[in-house]
Amino acid sequence: MRITQGCFSFLPDLTDDQIRSQAQYIIDKGWAVNLEYTDDPHPRNTYWEMWDLPMFDVKDAAAVMIELDACRKAHGDRFYIRLSGFDASHGWESVRISFIVGRPKTEPGFRLLRQEGPGRRQIYATQAYAADRPEGDRYKS
Amino acid sequence: MSLFDKRLTPTEAPKRGRYSAGVMEYRDMGYWQPDYEPKDTDIIAVFRVTPQDGVDPVEASAAVAGESSTATWTVVWTDRLTACDKYRAKCYRVDPVPNAPGVYFAFIAYELDLFEPGSIANLAASIIGNVFGFKPLKALRLEDMRFPVAYVKTFQGPATGIVVERERLDKFGRPLLGATVKPKLGLSGRNYGRVVYEALKGGLDFTKDDENINSQPFMHWRDRFLYCMEAVNKAQAATGEVKGSYLNITAATMEDMYERAEFAKELGSVIVMIDLVIGYTAIQSMAKWARRNDMILHLHRAGHSTYTRQKNHGVSFRVIAKWMRLAGVDHIHAGTVVGKLEGDPNATRGYYDICREDYNPQNLEHGLFFDQHWASLNKLMPVASGGIHAGQMHQLIDLLGEDVVLQFGGGTIGHPMGIAAGATANRVALEAMIFARNAGRDILQEGPQILEDAAKACTPLKQALDTWKDVSFNYASTDTPDFVPTVTPAE
Amino acid sequence: MEGSEISMESGSSAPPETIDLRRELAETHVQDVLDQLDRELVGLAPVKKRIRQIAALLIVDRVRRRMGLESETPTLHMSFTGNPGTGKTTVALRMAQILHKLGYIRKGHLVSVTRDDLVGQYIGHTAPKTKEILKKAMGGVLFIDEAYYLYRQENERDYGQEAIEILLQVMENQREDLVVILAGYAERMDQFFRSNPGFRSRIAHHIDFPDYTDPELMQIAKSMLAAQSYKFSEAGEAAFESYIAARRKQPLFSNARSIRNALDRARLRHANRYFEQDGPVSLDDLMTIDAPDVLASRVFDSHPSEK
Repeated sequence: MRITQGCFSFLPDLTDDQIRSQAQYIIDKGWAVNLEYTDDPHPRNTYWEMWDLPMFDVKDAAAVMIELDACRKAHGDRFYIRLSGFDASHGWESVRISFIVGRPKTEPGFRLLRQEGPGRRQIYATQAYAADRPEGDRYKS
Repeated sequence: MSLFDKRLTPTEAPKRGRYSAGVMEYRDMGYWQPDYEPKDTDIIAVFRVTPQDGVDPVEASAAVAGESSTATWTVVWTDRLTACDKYRAKCYRVDPVPNAPGVYFAFIAYELDLFEPGSIANLAASIIGNVFGFKPLKALRLEDMRFPVAYVKTFQGPATGIVVERERLDKFGRPLLGATVKPKLGLSGRNYGRVVYEALKGGLDFTKDDENINSQPFMHWRDRFLYCMEAVNKAQAATGEVKGSYLNITAATMEDMYERAEFAKELGSVIVMIDLVIGYTAIQSMAKWARRNDMILHLHRAGHSTYTRQKNHGVSFRVIAKWMRLAGVDHIHAGTVVGKLEGDPNATRGYYDICREDYNPQNLEHGLFFDQHWASLNKLMPVASGGIHAGQMHQLIDLLGEDVVLQFGGGTIGHPMGIAAGATANRVALEAMIFARNAGRDILQEGPQILEDAAKACTPLKQALDTWKDVSFNYASTDTPDFVPTVTPAE
Repeated sequence: MEGSEISMESGSSAPPETIDLRRELAETHVQDVLDQLDRELVGLAPVKKRIRQIAALLIVDRVRRRMGLESETPTLHMSFTGNPGTGKTTVALRMAQILHKLGYIRKGHLVSVTRDDLVGQYIGHTAPKTKEILKKAMGGVLFIDEAYYLYRQENERDYGQEAIEILLQVMENQREDLVVILAGYAERMDQFFRSNPGFRSRIAHHIDFPDYTDPELMQIAKSMLAAQSYKFSEAGEAAFESYIAARRKQPLFSNARSIRNALDRARLRHANRYFEQDGPVSLDDLMTIDAPDVLASRVFDSHPSEK
């Protein structure tokens, strides 16, 4: 399965040039660029690990690519990596775009757990198959 | 003769005392004050007035001011027990409507104390209560309103708002995708949930009950909710994305609505839905419930066309949009421009701005008569629904921007390869178009090419484009702004 | 982007036989930058000549590439040597604009730093600091003033070495992302390049900034004053001429910067002179720097005869 979080998961995996074009869009909007990674891609896992601080003052996407390369070297294809743009302007003060720029080679996906409740109700839980193993050891490189 | 009222009209002084018993022209009773300068704290309304033949437009407009505030058909001495000068609404400007003989814009200022804080019902009862049936008028339409910040702040505003909705759904940078389950009537709960599952698994963010899906013999509401949430949870596990289905909780009584809302919450739904026809009070109640219960509140504007569509009589949708932002819903259907339902491009831009901006400057071309501050009230997500398909993706994004829910009902469920394929086609088209826009391409010009390129790697999109490529709904809009950027002289 | 525009032009018709280089100069607006440099910097004839030469080279290179002639991304890193106040930063700013207008860098901004911005205080501090600066400078020009402070011969474990290694790597591998200009005193830069041959080999253009002559400094002084709606009286001008001659002989002379500082102090004295005297002041008085405003300077202390 393919996790389809983020803006561009239904497109073929982005090339570096394509990532660069989107990073430049974020920079030109005046938003900060943020890189995060995780090996717990649960849809409710909001806080992925930050790869250094958000890049607030860069002018060119080449700077983002330097960090992305470094992040890939460190966490490679055992982690999901996402790139996001943060808008600090009043009324937003939130993420404005977010997309996956790196994912493990195989994605086993999620198990849907059910618990019988009263009145035909089901209590659902989503659990990544990979999450059974400890952090850092979840996806084979 | 202004014995009792120093601010009486300078043009025509009354023939007798202001408070002598009997009938008197509205303009002489203080409802026409051409020198009045609206205060920052006044609520202002602009009406489109069509007086009966022979009725003076200023008198007709003053009558509108009177009938929507303190006046009745005759002078009453009990006015003198009140600070009536203050409470009287003041028509301060009457302009002929461009290119519409016999029709006038009447600008009327209302004192803030005339209104109960935080109540759309009270506002509506005042402004559109009696006056629309007033005999000396052939027709009357409420075009726009300006609310002072002090009044805006008495409302909760959207329960969730665009920013928090996106954070909760973990979806940023692109329009959200939805579809209304079809056929709108007749599916059993079990079959209904199948449509939801296929559409969500295929790539949509939301599915939606239609406005008249409530609790009918073919599918009772509990059944629908249970099957829908089964589908939502399965799709969530299949994609790793947050998914939702607008569960319509519209019902006969508030008690029923609360019961359905509570059940939706217990089942873990992120969103519930109501129809505009439940009324302003019920809408505000549900908005407060949604805020208390971390629920996104979707509003279907069922019924609005009965009074918003015709230009000469009724209430403009831009007023309804403003009321709904105050009332506190999170989603509102606001038109597609290119789809099957009424929607002039400029007027629609105006509605979208009302929903999404913190400040609307006056923009007559878009039908916005006034500057409007929203005082940090949450942003309201507009929904574009009705007769749209993947082949229009470039036009939709260009017209509507990215903070919008695009709902492709037929365009998803009617796909020749099935519902999931239809959903995938829409999602791929959407992502490809957003990507191209961000990469600096001119999507309006290059849109069809961008879609064609994306379809090379996506057969469902290819089929969607082939199936619907020639579908468009080009009819003249009935409700268009009266002001155009450049006036073309009539030949 | 650049590439696609160009291919469209040449695609519409057969490749032109002749190329008008002057039109190229005008169309890229590089001429505007060169003119601006002429206007804002007095003298510096050899520097301006070098800039023109480099611009000519880059334009020809650009045209050659467009015509499909073989050429790889040129090395554009530079060294600017000369004494303080000789216009190195200003020229670097204009050079960034020229490179941007010709499409050699994508953004055209200048990030000006010294050792302290690049080198950290403890282990593990330098690499992030240097990278942070490099990231800010991406797409533009990184100007490292007094670059030789990065290298401390006497201390092998100096953290500067780490910054140097990162810089060299980026200068080699990301030539299309960033141009580095190293600046400083001529002799010390020479020594720096001798000790760090890696830098020398990556620098394509050396530009030497000569000291200003006395008349040039006078001209600079006048234009600085004019920009603030001041002027010299005749006696004031004469006094300032002798000030320039005297200041040059003293330590820490830094060309245009010394002139700016001297004029700031002269304006201070000028203002106080009018406060100390009674009577009304004319508009002309308010604009005119006179001899006493200049001659009170400590520069003249060693020359009591001139006072």
